[in-house]
Amino acid sequence: MTTTQEPVTRDGSRVSPRVPDAIGLVARLVLGVTLIYAGLIKAGHLLDSARAVLAYQIFPWEIAKPIGYVLPMLEIVLGVLILVGFFTRPVAVIISLLWIAFILGISQAWMRGLQIDCGCFGGGGALTAGEKPGYFWEVARDVGLLLLSAWLVWRPRSLVSIDKALYG
Amino acid sequence: MGANAKKRREPAMSGASSSTASRQQKIQAAAPKRAGGPNRIVLGAVLAVVAIIAIVAGVIVSTRGGSGGAITSHALPPGVSTMGGGLQANNTVTLVKGAPTLDLYEDFQCPICHEFEKLFGAQIRSQASAGKVKLNYHVLNFLDSRSPNESSTRAALGAFCAADQGKFEAYHDQVYANQPQQEGAGWTDAQLKSYAQNVGLNTSTWQTCVKDKKYQKYLDAVQQQAAKGGVTGTPTIKLNGKIIDLQGLTPASLDKAIADATK
Repeated sequence: MTTTQEPVTRDGSRVSPRVPDAIGLVARLVLGVTLIYAGLIKAGHLLDSARAVLAYQIFPWEIAKPIGYVLPMLEIVLGVLILVGFFTRPVAVIISLLWIAFILGISQAWMRGLQIDCGCFGGGGALTAGEKPGYFWEVARDVGLLLLSAWLVWRPRSLVSIDKALYG
Repeated sequence: MGANAKKRREPAMSGASSSTASRQQKIQAAAPKRAGGPNRIVLGAVLAVVAIIAIVAGVIVSTRGGSGGAITSHALPPGVSTMGGGLQANNTVTLVKGAPTLDLYEDFQCPICHEFEKLFGAQIRSQASAGKVKLNYHVLNFLDSRSPNESSTRAALGAFCAADQGKFEAYHDQVYANQPQQEGAGWTDAQLKSYAQNVGLNTSTWQTCVKDKKYQKYLDAVQQQAAKGGVTGTPTIKLNGKIIDLQGLTPASLDKAIADATK
């Protein structure tokens, strides 16, 4: 039996949990702030949120509308939960699915040559084109966020979390 | 097997004295312990319910805080036949037999719409006044978010109120002619009122209509209808319900498309 404070892993070696726990905390903070912010800026403009979903031309309005209306609040709720570290693993799973959905949505728009988030966008030819959408950086950002949430799915333990306070 | 292995194995079968109680004690002692804490399943279920309530409440509060409140008018501007439908600019003109329907989806703040109007506006107008097309305007306001003062909505309401006095297109042209250099700067109330004066409206009637937000509900309905119709940006042009590709559109090709669509 060991007498130190540090937990013992299965093969008996001693591993400090501090560093991975700290990574977990950072992941939670980044994800939490990002999600809460994303939700708050849309929260007063649900019609615009729904129109943004429609713009990806995946769903008809009947489906895009409820998705767009619910998304901001969902982001805020998920953001708060991951920020405080409550039910970290299941919440991180849901968040990961969200990032995957966004990445797929943006990628298909990119591949189909849709122009989204350009305000009003016009065709080419006789009209001047709208701004070029920054698909690459949006996808890169979401991939980064997915890595953070995937980490928390794999290793939900982190410093300063409600999970830790309740369950140790 | 070494002492270590024995230590870690659940001693379920050890000892001759195994009464059920002591066997269970040993199983529990060796089983991986969850450090106390509230029951996860119950807590998880409660959390899920609270989250769903929060989300639904959030949606309800957000949509109520929109253009609800004291606005009760369900009036339709002249030229509009259904709530949320387009405004037919040439509704006093007799249409030729088989004239196709041309739907224009525009946002007043949209610079590309301005370009479109400059290139095709006059041509479309002359076709409309000759009755060769049924010309419907669908005024969108999604660019409200680009301006600090809801300019798309305010310009739209001004245009609909101008329609009350038969001057929709004239007012529409005034607004586009005065699109600010910087997208998002929008128009002040004074500017919108000056356009009403410029096209010869009775400004106090116009002003009352605008202040009362007489056509706000109609404007909101237009957004929903446009979205249902798959319109995701402006300008969008539909000929007999089909979206026309603006890529490579020329005055000649537009004329031809209209002629081809005339049955």
